[in-house]
Amino acid sequence: MTGEDRINIVLAGHGNTGKSTVFNFLTGLHQHIGNWAGKTIEKREGTLYYNDHIIDVLDLPGIYSLTPYSVEEVISREYIIHQHPDFVINIIDSTNLERNLIFTLQLLELESPVILALNMIDLAKKKGITIDFQKLQSILNVPVVPTIASQGSGLTDIIDQVIELKGKKSNHSNPKFGKEIENCITRLTLVLNAIVPQYPARLVAIKLLEKDIDTTTLVRGKYPEILERAKQLCENLEEIHGHDSSVVIADERSHLASQITRETERITPGKKIMLSDRLDAITTNKFSGYLVMILILGGMFFTVFSFGNWLSGWFDTIFKDWHGWWNTNIGTAFPAALGWSAIEGVLALVQIAFPYILPFYIILYALEGWGYISRISFLMDNLMHKMGIHGKGCISFIVGFGCNVPGCLSCRIMESKRERFITAVLVTLVPCSAVSVIVFGLVGKYVGLLWALSLYLLAIVVIFIAGKISSRFITGEPVELIMPMPDYKMPQIKTIIYQTWDALKEFIFIAAPIVVISGVIIQAINLAGWMPAISSFLSPVTVTWLGLPAITGILLIFGILRKELILVMLAAYLGTTNFSDVLTSQQMITLAVVSMFYIPCVATISVLWKEYGWKKAMAICILEILFALLLAGIVKRILDFVF
Amino acid sequence: MQTSLIDIEDGSTAIIISITGGKIVTKRLADLGLKSGTQIKLIRSTWSSGPVQIEVCGSRLVLGRGLASKIIVELK
Repeated sequence: MTGEDRINIVLAGHGNTGKSTVFNFLTGLHQHIGNWAGKTIEKREGTLYYNDHIIDVLDLPGIYSLTPYSVEEVISREYIIHQHPDFVINIIDSTNLERNLIFTLQLLELESPVILALNMIDLAKKKGITIDFQKLQSILNVPVVPTIASQGSGLTDIIDQVIELKGKKSNHSNPKFGKEIENCITRLTLVLNAIVPQYPARLVAIKLLEKDIDTTTLVRGKYPEILERAKQLCENLEEIHGHDSSVVIADERSHLASQITRETERITPGKKIMLSDRLDAITTNKFSGYLVMILILGGMFFTVFSFGNWLSGWFDTIFKDWHGWWNTNIGTAFPAALGWSAIEGVLALVQIAFPYILPFYIILYALEGWGYISRISFLMDNLMHKMGIHGKGCISFIVGFGCNVPGCLSCRIMESKRERFITAVLVTLVPCSAVSVIVFGLVGKYVGLLWALSLYLLAIVVIFIAGKISSRFITGEPVELIMPMPDYKMPQIKTIIYQTWDALKEFIFIAAPIVVISGVIIQAINLAGWMPAISSFLSPVTVTWLGLPAITGILLIFGILRKELILVMLAAYLGTTNFSDVLTSQQMITLAVVSMFYIPCVATISVLWKEYGWKKAMAICILEILFALLLAGIVKRILDFVF
Repeated sequence: MQTSLIDIEDGSTAIIISITGGKIVTKRLADLGLKSGTQIKLIRSTWSSGPVQIEVCGSRLVLGRGLASKIIVELK
């Protein structure tokens, strides 16, 4: 088979339309997850071998519009325009035809061949919605295929259409706006034709009327007179409608979608209230909503930590003899010891990834697939707003309680750079599972559970205040929450597995190199015998200011690798696991406070570095070190009165 | 009577008269099907400064309080 036979399709559509399910069904194990060039946005590609055809499938990010509002939207639009995919498969949520059609109309403006997949047609039927897809097909002049992705039904029909129509000229008609706008478009296309050959003239005309920044820049460079003309037409439109011309166009598109929906959709109102609505009423209620949220999240953390402790203990018993084996068989000389610390880094990752992050992601994605995550955003928006971000940021915090690395990565769901950065900064202050090990293993066990819980309360207060401060100092307009609320539906096990696997892989790829390398470096310093010098160098801070044993200086350095090493090394250095013999209650609380805030672990630092650049990553580290030392010193002095 | 979306009762249906926000937000809302003339239903709101949940064209949408306050509606 030659390369020319390959067919290239992209999946486009809103979030929550079952797009991932379609992608997983089509490509199965032949998937490749990467990043868009220069961006931290996930790029999902795969290959489908179907009869004698090879079809490359690209899953575009789930977006709500092709107006460049977020990076994902720019990427999607550019891809469709420049890469000329053979077909754009527009996955539509049939229970939500009108809103999805607005996006479809934008896709059609790009003049790429579109095939419409009316997904979740079964759910629509349950809701009493019937869609006349033949009529829809004739209005839009594109193939329309009803599908139920969760059962795989209809998906081969799409591929059959793709193969049948491949090479044939698409004869879709451009969606027509109202008369005034069409007039403006015609006038512009007349001058534009043949001038901007890489884009369809009609598209450029629409984008100029929409005052699209990229298009304006493109035209301004070469044809300032056309831009002048467009400006005039925009002003005309604005005079007639009293709105910005971009709003006028968006409004028209939206009206057109309503009109098409009216012509093709029949709704027979169901007599009984849907189960989803009833669940929604309980889970988003002012009172019961919060109760349910506490129960669900509490249950989630309880499950993750009990499973994690069990599995991590099991790994401990397996790994515990390895060090001894290494020492006897490979040796304890300098290179061998360094080699061991590299292995130890890998083992440490395994001990975090599988016991804690894996179950965490499974539950998280199950909740997302079910539709619950949006409810949390709804309930928490209020509180999040006080920190200068909106409700979706809460999700990153929840993930951060498991591990800060995926927590920081999940900030990508925030729309603006400002929101993304503030959320990431706050996530680094969230006590992750490793910090919880310290808090409970030290304070919870030897000082009292109430003290441990008050440390969590302290963390929440700190995050809240940090949010207030950073939202004041990090400039930019705060973005308001705009979020579709999906119906509750059965989560797809296959989708959960794929999502979990991707997330776990990303965690390991980002964290592994840095954990291993920095582990080796710190071990080298240790073997060179510089640690005592470092601990005495740090003693003005550790001993004088914080009132801790000098040894903690070294512990805090190791703790940068993984926070729980502070506890592990404490036991190793002091030769006992009964910490109450060597530390006073006051010292334990102080040490726990420092450990919670003093610096993100290396893996988290590496994510911050990758996503926001080294300057911001370093700034966060330095600020947090200073802050943690200040706070812990104050806590120590307050505790002087208590104990 | 014209009033802001945040001032109507939970469960009431209204028609959007105008959106007084900036053009970016107005456009965003139009992309999601919210424009003058659209019928919406306020499903429920949360505590004081929390977001509102609305139903528009048969599906649900959550809007931040500040944004919702810029949507002027007339009760049906």
